Amino acid sequence: MTPTRGGDAGSQDPDPDSIERIRQVLIRAVERHCPPALAAHREDLVQMAVLRLLERPRSEGSAPRGASYLWRVAYTVVIDEIRRFRRQQRQTEQLPGDEGGTPGPEVRSELLECLGALQDRRRTAVTLHLQGFRMGEVAAALGWSEKQAENLVYRGLADLRACLEGGNT
Amino acid sequence: MSEPSDDLERRFRAALPDRDDPECPTADAYWAAAAGELPFERVRTLVDHGATCARCAEAWRILVDVRRAASDAGTPASDPPPLRSLVGGAPGRPRLRTGTLLPLALSAMAAVGLWVVLRPPPVRPPPVERGTGNGAAVRAESPEVQPARDAVLRWSEVPGASSYNVTVLTPDLVVVHQAVGVSGREFRLPEALRQRAAGSELLWNVDAVMPDGRTVASPTFELRLGAGP
Repeated sequence: MTPTRGGDAGSQDPDPDSIERIRQVLIRAVERHCPPALAAHREDLVQMAVLRLLERPRSEGSAPRGASYLWRVAYTVVIDEIRRFRRQQRQTEQLPGDEGGTPGPEVRSELLECLGALQDRRRTAVTLHLQGFRMGEVAAALGWSEKQAENLVYRGLADLRACLEGGNT
Repeated sequence: MSEPSDDLERRFRAALPDRDDPECPTADAYWAAAAGELPFERVRTLVDHGATCARCAEAWRILVDVRRAASDAGTPASDPPPLRSLVGGAPGRPRLRTGTLLPLALSAMAAVGLWVVLRPPPVRPPPVERGTGNGAAVRAESPEVQPARDAVLRWSEVPGASSYNVTVLTPDLVVVHQAVGVSGREFRLPEALRQRAAGSELLWNVDAVMPDGRTVASPTFELRLGAGP
C-alpha cells in the first residue's frame, strides 16, 4: 500500500511555528466573523484547512514563493473548508440559512439599495470600508492613493447617509 | 466629512442576505483583489458580490484579519533593522568612534552569552513527528482494497506508543470517523460507516501517541471498499 498524502518528506514542510501562528489567526478570525453555529466548529474547520495546507503537493509548496504565499493558501483553504462545511450541513440537516442574524426584507433592501445607488468608485470604496478595510487597505486594493481612497470613502458614506435619511422621512 | 460609520457597518452586516450562491467567487480571487493584483473593474465586481452575499462578506472580513496578521508576521523581514546606523554606515549621520563602539559591542556579546546560558527552556507543545524513514514511520498493513462488510485498518507498530488515534476521511478530506485511544494496532470500521462508504474510496491515517504526549503521525493511506456486503 502506498501513502497518498503527507508521507515522509517532512523536511520540506513549512516551518511549524508559522503554521501554528496561521492556525491561531484563522481560529480567531472564524470565531470573530462567522455565525455562532459555525464558529463552534472553528477548531475542526481550521484543523482540516491546515491539514490540506500541509498536504498540498510539493510542487505547490510554499518555500519557493515565500511566507506570504503560505498565508494566502491558508486563507483560501479555510474559506473552502467553511463552504464545504456549510454545503455538507445543508445536505445532512436541511437547515438552509438557519444561522440567524438576517433582518427583515425592508431594512435589508433600504441599505443595500442606497449602497447600490452610489457612483461606482464610491460604492466600491464604501463597501470595502464597511467590510472592515482601513483606508490604506482600500487604497492598496483599488490602486489609488490613500488620500484618494479616503476622499471616496467619506463622500460615499455621506451619500449613503443622505440616501438613508431621505428614505426614512 | 462624514460621521463615524460604525452604525452603518452594523446595519450593512445585518442587511446582507444569507443566501447560497454557487457562483460565489473563489477565495483566491478575494485575496488577489485585496493585494491589488486585479484591475478596478474586476475588484468592483467582487466587492459588489460581497455586498449581496453574507457568506462572501464573511470571507472579506476574514481576509482582512488574515492579511493583517500576515503583514504583521512579515514586518521584520520587509523592514530591515537599522543595522547600518549602528555601525555608522548611514549617510549623513555622525559615525560612532571605535573607542565608543568597542565597549558597547563587548557588553552586548557578554549579555548575549549570558542569555544563551541562563535562558529558560522554550515551552513547546508536544511535537508531532511525521514518518521520516528512521524506523518510527507508521506503515499500513491492511490491504488497500477490502470488502465493505469487514473492512479493518491495520498498521505497523510504533515502539513505545501507548495508544493510537485513527482518522478516516473522504477523498475530499472531510473527516467521517475518528477513534481515539485505540490500544491495539487495528481498527474495524463501524458498521454505519462501512454501509455508507461501500463501493467508494476513503482515506485514513494514524497518530501513535507516545507516553510523553508526543505523537507520531502516519502518512495518509487509501482504502477502497467493495460494493455492498
